[in-house]
Amino acid sequence: MRESISKPIQRVDGSAKISGEAKYIGDMHFENMLFAKTLRSSRVKAKIKSIIKPELPEGYFIVDKDDVPGFNRMRTVVSDHPLFAEDNVEYIGQPILLVVGPERETIYDIITHISIVYDDLEPLYTLEEAEAKSTVFTDYHYDKGEPDKAFAVAVTIIEDEYHTGYQEHVYLEPQGMAAEYRDDTMFVYGSMQCPFYAEGALTEALGWDAKRIRVIQTVTGGAFGGKEEFPSLTACQVAVAALKTKRPVTLIYDRDEDIICSTKRHPSIVRYKAALNQNNDVIALDVDVLLDAGAYNGLSPVVLQRAIFSVTGVYNYLHLKVRGRNFMTNNVPSGAYRGFGAPQTIFGTEMLMHNIALKIGVDPLDYKMRHMLRRGDPTCMGGKIRDIVKLPEIITRVTEMSDYRNKVQNNVKYKGIGASLFLHGCGFTGNGEQTIQGKIILKKSGENVILKVSSTEMGQGAETVLRKIVAYSLDLPIEKVLCEAADTGLVPDSGPTVASRTTMIVGGLLRQACLELKDRWDEAEEFEVSRSYKHPDFLNWDNDTFQGDAYPVYSWGANVAEVEIDPVTYEINVKKISAVYDVGMPIDETTLRGQMQGGIVQGVGWATIEVMTTDKGKLIQKNLTDYKVPTSMDIPKIDCEFVSNPYEFGPFGAKCAGELPFVGAPPAVVAAVSNALNVPIYSIPITPEDLMEMDSHEN
Amino acid sequence: MVDGFRPVTLQETLNIRSQYNCTPIAGGTDLMVQKARGFALKPGFEQPLLFIGHLPELQKIVIKNNQIHIGSGLLLTDLLNSEIIPEIFKEAVRLMASPPSRNLASIGGNICNASPAGDTLPYLYAVDAKLVLKSVRSERLVSIGEFITGPKQTALGQDELLTEIIIPNKIFNVNYYKKVGQRKGMSLTKAVFLGMTDIKNDNLTDIRIAFGSVSPKIVRSREIERTIVGKPTFEMITAIPEILAKYALLIRPIDDARSTAVYRKKVSLRLLEDFLRKIDKEK
Repeated sequence: MRESISKPIQRVDGSAKISGEAKYIGDMHFENMLFAKTLRSSRVKAKIKSIIKPELPEGYFIVDKDDVPGFNRMRTVVSDHPLFAEDNVEYIGQPILLVVGPERETIYDIITHISIVYDDLEPLYTLEEAEAKSTVFTDYHYDKGEPDKAFAVAVTIIEDEYHTGYQEHVYLEPQGMAAEYRDDTMFVYGSMQCPFYAEGALTEALGWDAKRIRVIQTVTGGAFGGKEEFPSLTACQVAVAALKTKRPVTLIYDRDEDIICSTKRHPSIVRYKAALNQNNDVIALDVDVLLDAGAYNGLSPVVLQRAIFSVTGVYNYLHLKVRGRNFMTNNVPSGAYRGFGAPQTIFGTEMLMHNIALKIGVDPLDYKMRHMLRRGDPTCMGGKIRDIVKLPEIITRVTEMSDYRNKVQNNVKYKGIGASLFLHGCGFTGNGEQTIQGKIILKKSGENVILKVSSTEMGQGAETVLRKIVAYSLDLPIEKVLCEAADTGLVPDSGPTVASRTTMIVGGLLRQACLELKDRWDEAEEFEVSRSYKHPDFLNWDNDTFQGDAYPVYSWGANVAEVEIDPVTYEINVKKISAVYDVGMPIDETTLRGQMQGGIVQGVGWATIEVMTTDKGKLIQKNLTDYKVPTSMDIPKIDCEFVSNPYEFGPFGAKCAGELPFVGAPPAVVAAVSNALNVPIYSIPITPEDLMEMDSHEN
Repeated sequence: MVDGFRPVTLQETLNIRSQYNCTPIAGGTDLMVQKARGFALKPGFEQPLLFIGHLPELQKIVIKNNQIHIGSGLLLTDLLNSEIIPEIFKEAVRLMASPPSRNLASIGGNICNASPAGDTLPYLYAVDAKLVLKSVRSERLVSIGEFITGPKQTALGQDELLTEIIIPNKIFNVNYYKKVGQRKGMSLTKAVFLGMTDIKNDNLTDIRIAFGSVSPKIVRSREIERTIVGKPTFEMITAIPEILAKYALLIRPIDDARSTAVYRKKVSLRLLEDFLRKIDKEK
């Protein structure tokens, strides 16, 4: 018997990345390659009256809406974003056209000599304005129990409103894409999470069959959702340019350009009405979730779904009334970002519970524990919690690791401690997995096994984890298990690399295929085994009424954050985060720890220093000088442990992991800040500027 | 067109400076960012560059007549490695940018950039640093306060070069430095406060107070400092409201992408108050 699969191995992608051998999109060179640069809207909302173009030198091209042979929209959940602007522009930074040619200096010069005559229109700048004007993209509702009756008999009703801000992904390399048209095939290369999303978008933009399109992921240094749908836009643009110019074309953004025009985490307002009984327990919740989708809806409806399906966090409220709306504003479109809507509502609900506890004079953690879900309980959508909920064990451990009980009782001003409890629904929301029908292939080739999946390595460790699942299943050394390139011409569509689904869903399919391959091992020197996703029979979901099991299973966690506030400057010093997670079973503990640490740091950033705001449709923090993410000096001590709770249908018992830590850190940190200054907090990022103001009112 | 000059000696540098309109550049950590055009293009400099970071004449750090003479081409890292730079000045330098930037950036560059948020400036104002400006025709000595005429504006003549920074070889009894940034490392300054004082027999014999990032120029008032000098330390607490009120008139910050005017002003005065309270505790 082999050692536990959780025992770490060396990352399979590590040495190429450390040595510099790894080829990122910026390292790609093609013969006769042309460069492209985007001309963007400088207006928040305007009609394009005319575009005055200079005479182009030979070999230079302008590529715009008229060059798109197929549909001039980026295909995603709602295909509403034009590849190139048509009559109107709807946000600052919206792409209008590309200038393409052999010399960068000349392209730059041409761009500066194109003038666009705009007719400005009345824009919508904020979520509040959008709500007042009812510019609703998507409006969802669902109920549980009898919320109206519960509110009618409530002893106390508490109303609160929570706000969260933008967040920029700050992946290592900015967005970049290259296209080459040869052999009657469009080859598209780039930094991305989901090659088949790009392929699907290209079929519509070009009006071609997928057989004539190949999308190949280049080494991707981080994505966090920022390379989920956005690369479909640049993939189509660069392919249209390659088709027009008959030369390879590359389109690579500078960081500043990337920040201005790429998607971000949705800013949110979450309004709560909580009905309390005579014991001050929450019996009903009325929640209204508002997301700023920006100028186009894109995949925001699915973000909104996860947001409203996560509103109850780890709690069992008997009655619920939930509404969620995506609003159109003239801001840069929001999009996928680690957690995908859940961080906004989990933050709100955790802080609501925290603030109710303070109002009624109970320890917030004790108060939360009175409401926790247990095995067999219904989920907020009327599904079922089927597995053991190990929160009691998790809480016991995290409070020991942090000495929470002792510290919370001996609270001194400017020192704070706070806890969060959280979950994350594993895999795609609702019927996503059934729609995608992820497929995988395992190929035996002599002594080796080649796994063919479209799941991408983007720094999170997917390749290590998937190869490890196959190697352990077949009892092969990891070197004998190879991974085919993420190239739509070579691998089947296993679904996108999103929603913390890769280990559990794709890894699960690989594990099943391995069992077959093992049985048939001696059949031939070379053969393939494939598997497609089959939805477990016990799961029911109605996507029209939002009733049933929105997720097959959940991962769980608890964090305790400890902070110190500088009494003079109100700077927040996050000293320590204690974290315990149930992700089923760790496939590789070091890789998993990396995910947990990274998620925590990103969550701490979102909750504290990552201020990103707009003023009249214009981003104020629009470069990395003004928009700050945590550095190694800002990272707290992180103590992280796992409880084992194997999931029957996950490979080796694994559930989801990648987004879970992001969801948990912000409410813990903010609870600790609230504890340090004894003030309620309703909005993040919480900054020294805010705290100084709050504390002076307090005094 | 001439793209740049790379002279070998200071004399040659000054000759070029006298003949051409050119931009002196050492590490380029400010200039390259300010003139960046993106799209992998060369930065958009309007004038030829004059590379000076390598000149041996600008790399010296010596004590003469109880003054520390610092070559303008010395890197921030060199200052940190020096044994004669006062610790509080090192503290300011240590909190600047990142190690790679500190290995490129020169002290002369930080001064000539004349940013209201320049991190070497509060200390240099507090000790009334003198700058040596050289040209082929002259050599003059100006104080840091005279040199910086406004945000990004200096009194440097078109043919002159900042060659040396002169600070007193002196360490104060009580030193207080606090940079408030958006995060702990690699951050521009929201507000910065520096306070230094000498105490003899419970009396303040000298006090220096400087604020950065809260006004077009570094805020230092000799007038207010003179009203504090001579006071016994035990009177500091009672004097605080009056001192704060005086500085409040000089601190005129702005709202920007990194912070608010209200916070900058409040935090500056709170840091000053904290410093004054510490003096009270010193015996």
